Amino acid sequence: MSSQQQQGDDWIRITSKDGFSFVVKRNVALRSGTLRNMLDEHNFAEAVQKVCPVDERAAVTEKFVEYLAYKASYENANPNEEIPDFGERIAPEIALELCV
Amino acid sequence: MTNNVRGPTSALTEFLRELGINHALIQRRGQRWQQQQAEAGPSNASTNANQDITNEEEQGGLPDSLTGEAAPDSDHLDSEEEVTTGKKRKLSKAALERQKASAKKKAKKNDDEDYKDNEEDAYTAKSLRENKSTNPKPSIGSLQKCSRCSKQFTMTKYTMAANPPPGYLCHSCAKSSGADPFKKPAAPRKRKSAAEKRTITNFQERKLPTLVFLCIKVISQHINDVEAFGDIGSVNLDRIVRALCRNRSLTPENATLFYDVRNKNINIYDGTRLEPPALTTLALLNPNLTSLRIDFCGHLNNAVLDSWSTSLPALTRVELLGPFLVRVPAWISFFRSHPGLKGFLLHQSPRFDLECMSALVTHCSRITELRLKEIGKLDDTFLPHISSLKYLEQLDLSSPGASCSDDSVISVLKERGAQLTHLDLSCHNELGDDFLKRGILAYTPHLVSLKLDNLPSLTDEGVAAFFHAWTPSVLSTLSIARAHDVGSHALPALLDCAWSTLSTLNINAWRDTTVESLVNIAKAQELRTLDIGWNRAVDNFVIKAILDGCPKLEEIKCWGCNRVTAECPRKLNVNLHGVESSVYVDAY
Repeated sequence: MSSQQQQGDDWIRITSKDGFSFVVKRNVALRSGTLRNMLDEHNFAEAVQKVCPVDERAAVTEKFVEYLAYKASYENANPNEEIPDFGERIAPEIALELCV
Repeated sequence: MTNNVRGPTSALTEFLRELGINHALIQRRGQRWQQQQAEAGPSNASTNANQDITNEEEQGGLPDSLTGEAAPDSDHLDSEEEVTTGKKRKLSKAALERQKASAKKKAKKNDDEDYKDNEEDAYTAKSLRENKSTNPKPSIGSLQKCSRCSKQFTMTKYTMAANPPPGYLCHSCAKSSGADPFKKPAAPRKRKSAAEKRTITNFQERKLPTLVFLCIKVISQHINDVEAFGDIGSVNLDRIVRALCRNRSLTPENATLFYDVRNKNINIYDGTRLEPPALTTLALLNPNLTSLRIDFCGHLNNAVLDSWSTSLPALTRVELLGPFLVRVPAWISFFRSHPGLKGFLLHQSPRFDLECMSALVTHCSRITELRLKEIGKLDDTFLPHISSLKYLEQLDLSSPGASCSDDSVISVLKERGAQLTHLDLSCHNELGDDFLKRGILAYTPHLVSLKLDNLPSLTDEGVAAFFHAWTPSVLSTLSIARAHDVGSHALPALLDCAWSTLSTLNINAWRDTTVESLVNIAKAQELRTLDIGWNRAVDNFVIKAILDGCPKLEEIKCWGCNRVTAECPRKLNVNLHGVESSVYVDAY
């Protein structure tokens, strides 16, 4: 594992079911337990190619990635810092799919 | 400056505190005494004052503020405590103010502070008053006499009190006594750390909500706006129910999403938060239900079941886990109103008794699927009723309060065995080899699923003989877990008997199975799930043979198989659970 990988500074590609792909920093992708499992096992194809397929359509995957970014930026936030409510950013149309 | 810690106190102080004697009481008593003295004669009082002055002269280094005021009476001179309280009395005005301040502070405090905290504060407040009033430090900059070397010195922030108490020490005496005058007092620092600790806990409480939690919130908010979700297929609906139940967040509000007049089938996997009104609503909004399953329906009570009796006329299959509150009359009226019931699956109900059983048989004679799992009152007397169910195909009587006997179970199988497809008699510990031979072997040729977990009296020879003799036509699920003495002979016989049709096999805790027989599991071509936990002989080669041999395999559980190591072979789409050392590998 290179030092860049350890710092979570390299890029991971997250692809949706219908062909869209989202490129995020590794430390953002690692906020998700599923993606972490994919990326941590050294011999998994996902870890080698740095591509994680997510079995959802693009709109849902996009919101999922957005949440990961949100979580990455606010997880270690100062206690007195205002944390915006992510719930406002979830459109009810995709909430059910996101939930599943 | 304030000292919040109450130090060790003398036995007398403790004793007085226990009796509730405080300085106010003593003050009052002292005043009364003084009045009496004044009435008795002024000469006595003046001697008292004289005595007071000499007393102070002897002590030499008393602070300015204390001199010139009345000292305690001679009655109480013999006790240190009384002297202190005498001093307190002089300071009573200041003390009173402080008391008021602390009372205000307390009043401001939040109610949610826990009991321990309050108690701590109460103690602190008390000691605060005591210490402050007994040791009023003279103002900084004033001239003092050292209580040891009697030299005059200026009070500073670092001036230390003499030990033993009366007076203060000059800098050189303080140093020579071994104490460091510049050392910060320990107590305030301790207090600070406690406060810091508290803020840290607050910080930890702020966790980001999970995505699923947020989504559920959004769904609940928009639950009335069903259009926003679009059209949901029944398959997706079930997935959503599962997702909500997994988080135990299926509430009366969002449950309505799954209700529809056209619904024929509802599965609720966690109904913990559905209260009686919600369960009644469920029945009213889904009047055409034929199949209903609710797990964890602890809120289900008589009233709900009574409403179901009228509002769910088409119900043919009902599966309930944990309806503890339903009593006998409600069950009976439910059975009476549902003569068409075909499946009754009850798991955990301490109130279901013989009367309910006979009512079930009388009113619902077309039952094909019966489950009475973990029913405390189940015993031999239930069994004649069960055998009178003519259409019975699936029977589950596992984990009863007390085991049924060999003969009565055999008599049920004699009546109904020919058409039985599913049978679960786990945890009936009276059933043994004899039951296998005279019951299952003799009367149940068409079993698809057989579960006999936790029957400790089974023996290796008996089970082996049973499988040698038995020829089931379509057995696909077999579970004989936790039969410790079964193993080396029984497993080969089992595989010979059912290898071609078996899809689920559970031989958990068959201690003495051998590698040769375990490897033979590989010939079960239809095998999908396998539990070989606590089979001591299982090792990497056995796992490899099974993985190679069973093309349809989906899951292997090998908990407690110490010889299976992290290096054991894996296969795509096969979940291997319970490999011990893999935990450590993951940690890296």
